[in-house]
Amino acid sequence: MKKVAIPGVSGKKQGLHVCSTCGNYSEHQTHISLCPICDNQIYLRKKNSLQKTWALLITAIIFIIPANVYPITYLLKNNILYPDTIFSGIISLVDSDMIGIAIIVFVASILVPILKIFALIFILLAVQLRWRLSATKQLLIFTFVDWIGRWSILDLFVISIMVAVFDKGNLLSVYPGIAATSFTIVVITTLFAAHSFDTRLIWDAQTLTDTQNNNIQER
Amino acid sequence: MTSEIPDIKTGHTAKCIRCERVIYNNSACHPSAMLALCLSALIISVPAFNQPLISLHLLSITEDTNLIQGALMMIDIAPIVSFVVLFCAVIAPTMLIISIAISSACLTFQYKPSFLPKIFKITRHLIHWSMLEVYMVSLMVAMFKLMNYADLYIGFGFYFFIALLLLNMMIISNYSNHQYWEKYNNL
Repeated sequence: MKKVAIPGVSGKKQGLHVCSTCGNYSEHQTHISLCPICDNQIYLRKKNSLQKTWALLITAIIFIIPANVYPITYLLKNNILYPDTIFSGIISLVDSDMIGIAIIVFVASILVPILKIFALIFILLAVQLRWRLSATKQLLIFTFVDWIGRWSILDLFVISIMVAVFDKGNLLSVYPGIAATSFTIVVITTLFAAHSFDTRLIWDAQTLTDTQNNNIQER
Repeated sequence: MTSEIPDIKTGHTAKCIRCERVIYNNSACHPSAMLALCLSALIISVPAFNQPLISLHLLSITEDTNLIQGALMMIDIAPIVSFVVLFCAVIAPTMLIISIAISSACLTFQYKPSFLPKIFKITRHLIHWSMLEVYMVSLMVAMFKLMNYADLYIGFGFYFFIALLLLNMMIISNYSNHQYWEKYNNL
């Protein structure tokens, strides 16, 4: 028999779970792990969501250091190697009067990854320590971070174009450095971290504090 | 949070009562129209990926650059970077379009294969990884950077790439996984 969902009450309270693939809801039972309609994995909340997100975030934090310290590209000009880090690349853009491009690159490759890591840490802490904050605002931050996060891949695309254009052997060539790989790992891990986070946990944390408070008041 | 989906007119969307995210999109786009869009996107993607995007006149040599070549040239030095660029700019968008084309074709021709749920799942994951619009902005940035060094010409593939980007955006904004599911169940 199929339960009919009551609108306005969370699915978890009603013992219902929604399938992320087909969007149909079904009754939650502990031994069922596949959606009865489409046979894809179904869960009340993403499994180990917080742990996975933390693990990926820590990886990103580790790799963001070499990404900014080591050279991201090498320019080989007349047999001399000129290394360029993310930051020195931006400085040279400012020097050559391309402020607009410099801002785009700065936002995409320095500001966005750092902002994303901090925002995700903030939301994770808020969920875990049950801080009483507006859930809609937390989700707004998360959605913004999730949307802007994909733009940090911009620098990698630029490198790939530069490498292809400057291919003149020892006369003039561009090579990616160690930081390019580190930066790729930062981008990928933060993207996966945002995907592994279940936004419904924000509300779960809020409702839990509500019931706890009610219990205290009743006493 | 459970929300009731009311009967909505085509082109309108239903939002979650708690977080105001779109949960149901009654898109006006029919599977047959989607199939047409996907097929044209697939045809256009061939020249967009292998025709030169930009040509550079440097040291009296004109060099063409296309999308795939750019990613493949770093495969020895930085394989991870190369793979990610290739995946986000070429593989993910193409596979996304192919998977939407397959599901649209099945719905248009009233064919109900058992592998379709897997296709829906793949589509849902790939949507996040298709980054053609980011590539477009990167191309702009690279072009501004290169203007300092040499004469720059916009290649033949550039126009195809813009067309592909527009088609891709149209497909993604009109696609709704849940709607496709309903149609699949009604077959």
